Amino acid sequence: MVEDGHGFEILKEVMRIANSTLDLHETLDKIIQVIHSRMTIDASAIYLADEQGTHFHIMASSGLPVEVSRSIKLELGKGITGWVAREKKPVALVDAMQDPRFVHFPEIGEEKFNSMLSVPILKEDLCIGVINLHRIDKGNFTTPEISLLESIGNQVAGCIRNAMLYTKSQILLKEQTVLYEISQAVQTTLKLEQGIWTILSGITMGEAGGFNRAMLFTINDKANTLNGMMALGPDSPEEANRIWTELSQRSKERMQWIIQEADRKEYENSRLNQWVRSLQFPLRAGENILVDTVLLKNSYNIKDANNHPQVGEEFAREIGVNAFATVPLMAHKKVLGVILVDNRYNNKAIAEEQLRLLTRFATHAGWVIENARLFTRLLDTNSELLSTKEQLIQSEKLAALGEMSAEVAHEIKNPLVSIGGFARRLQEKIKSLPSYYQNGEPVQKVVSYSKIIVQEVDRLEKLLEDILFFSKTGTSHREECQLDELIQEAIYLFKTEMRNKNIQVHHSVEENLPSIFLDRQQVKQVLINLFYNAIDCMREGGDLTVAVFKTGHASGQEMISFSISDTGGGIPPDIFKNIFNPFFTTKNQGTGLGLSICRKIISEHSGTINIENNIGRGVTVYIHLSLKNSVKYYKS
Amino acid sequence: MKKILVVDDEENIRLLYKEELNDEGYQVEVAASAEEALEKIHSEKPDIITLDIKMPGMDGIELLDKLKKDNSNIPIILCSAYGRYKQDFRVWASNAYVVKSADLGELKVTIRDILKETSSN
Repeated sequence: MVEDGHGFEILKEVMRIANSTLDLHETLDKIIQVIHSRMTIDASAIYLADEQGTHFHIMASSGLPVEVSRSIKLELGKGITGWVAREKKPVALVDAMQDPRFVHFPEIGEEKFNSMLSVPILKEDLCIGVINLHRIDKGNFTTPEISLLESIGNQVAGCIRNAMLYTKSQILLKEQTVLYEISQAVQTTLKLEQGIWTILSGITMGEAGGFNRAMLFTINDKANTLNGMMALGPDSPEEANRIWTELSQRSKERMQWIIQEADRKEYENSRLNQWVRSLQFPLRAGENILVDTVLLKNSYNIKDANNHPQVGEEFAREIGVNAFATVPLMAHKKVLGVILVDNRYNNKAIAEEQLRLLTRFATHAGWVIENARLFTRLLDTNSELLSTKEQLIQSEKLAALGEMSAEVAHEIKNPLVSIGGFARRLQEKIKSLPSYYQNGEPVQKVVSYSKIIVQEVDRLEKLLEDILFFSKTGTSHREECQLDELIQEAIYLFKTEMRNKNIQVHHSVEENLPSIFLDRQQVKQVLINLFYNAIDCMREGGDLTVAVFKTGHASGQEMISFSISDTGGGIPPDIFKNIFNPFFTTKNQGTGLGLSICRKIISEHSGTINIENNIGRGVTVYIHLSLKNSVKYYKS
Repeated sequence: MKKILVVDDEENIRLLYKEELNDEGYQVEVAASAEEALEKIHSEKPDIITLDIKMPGMDGIELLDKLKKDNSNIPIILCSAYGRYKQDFRVWASNAYVVKSADLGELKVTIRDILKETSSN
């Protein structure tokens, strides 16, 4: 029997216990002790529901054999306790065993208890547990006793809620700690492999990710494939056990261990890593689940790989597990690859919460890959710059050398003309000497000596000609040529490219155009640059129109002109104003010198270059060359 | 007999040209500078001039310019050690441009052609 005042005392005691500790087991044990000692009963038990809410386990008890009672698993709706849980109503029975709902558990010796009180522990509308009281005596539980136990039930519900929140926050804290440690570790290295290894370790480490295996695949942009890059995980259950034991022992200096371990590169030899590195899949929709993860930027938690439409039969067979999860690797909204995890050795189901954590790791991995990529690009650019600088120095040296050799060549040329010229005269003069000298040996020798001088001077003159041709001042070499011939030669170089890009060429030439003096190589260079620009801007095909014609210049002199038009949509105004600036370019691979070289060459030919920009339609380049350059003009 | 004025700052070249062209049957006068050439043109009234470009003082192209401005009709053959002056548009005012060589064959042919052309006009 419980008096009113006594009941209040018991409840106060229970509340004090409920608020004194966060450990659920300890709290429940203490509550049971209070109930057992303060209420006149022979046995008591607190059942709690499992995660799914379908089964109930004894979490704390009194008067029952402890070891055995902990193993009891009660189904929802079964027995009196199950009924209370399902109906969420208290039940008080004088003779429990006579009740049709009674289910006998012989191992706890319930048969000795006759009267029973069972109240549900409710959290909102959900039954999360049951408290049972048992007495050997057959007798009614009083209304105050029933309401006291209901109040205790409410307290227990509160304890459970707190404990769950606490556990959750502990998990979150652990996640945060591990993520922090991982990001610290990742920042210590710019080496891609090390960074990735650290992240995969985080994923497979007991406390946070806790996955058995993790595999990382990255996109190869050039080949348009998804390639296996690295995998971490034991090759056998024995190895798995060894690693988990080691990891749990190292919880304190874990990060140092990971960083050291990354350097040792032992993972490289694992069968799993070697297998993953051998994998390569084309980035084609429907190829398999990894490719779909990348293409659709979705995460997947696969529970039955063999019967999942996206997994792909072959991959399902090779991966060797029926349940796994994939998340895309992202950086700057761009997909870089995919991470796959599974629990091959402990077969634990992958919870959504774990997947959420995995996504965070994937973000880190994305950054690592992106950083490493940027760093590599920086190194590349740097070495490119250095080699460009060297080239510049080299070409400056060559230019200086060219000028010097031109100078030297000129100084040598005049004396050489004299030497050679007089040697020739000598040869001639000997011929006209009186005939009796001609039979003598000395005359023969003089003839051959002067012949040698003439030949050697010829050789030197040829040599000087070559030097002057290659030296800077001698490079411009003009000759008579038909402009249209040059145009045809230049167009020919782009024939295949234009056919592939579906570009039509329209070519018109005015009849009877005079030939003009040009440096073929230089003017051809101009044409190549202009055609290159025109074709480059017509990615989707179009029309290339080339015309050669005679024009009259304002000053009255005649010009020979040509125009090159494209249908590439024209140049935006802010770019147009810069197009002749050296080093300005909109192309990924270009020096930005193309048009400035064109202008330089054309102005060296006393010509002009104009560009007509029709936004939305295309660009027409006009080049006018003075007919003063024509052969006819020169001759007349 | 046609008279040729050879303008060159190098004494040996002048001597070479003079002897070779004498052998060809021309009367040859020489000048060691553009300034001297102007005097000789005035006094000797040559039928044709071979003119070196690179000379101290007034150079060959400047002399060519001056003669053209003075409406001189004397044909002029520019002679230079190398061909780079061919790109200077001012040389277009000359009748021919010959790159100097120990072999004077080209020069002799050019002189003959130009003299033939001018005498037929």
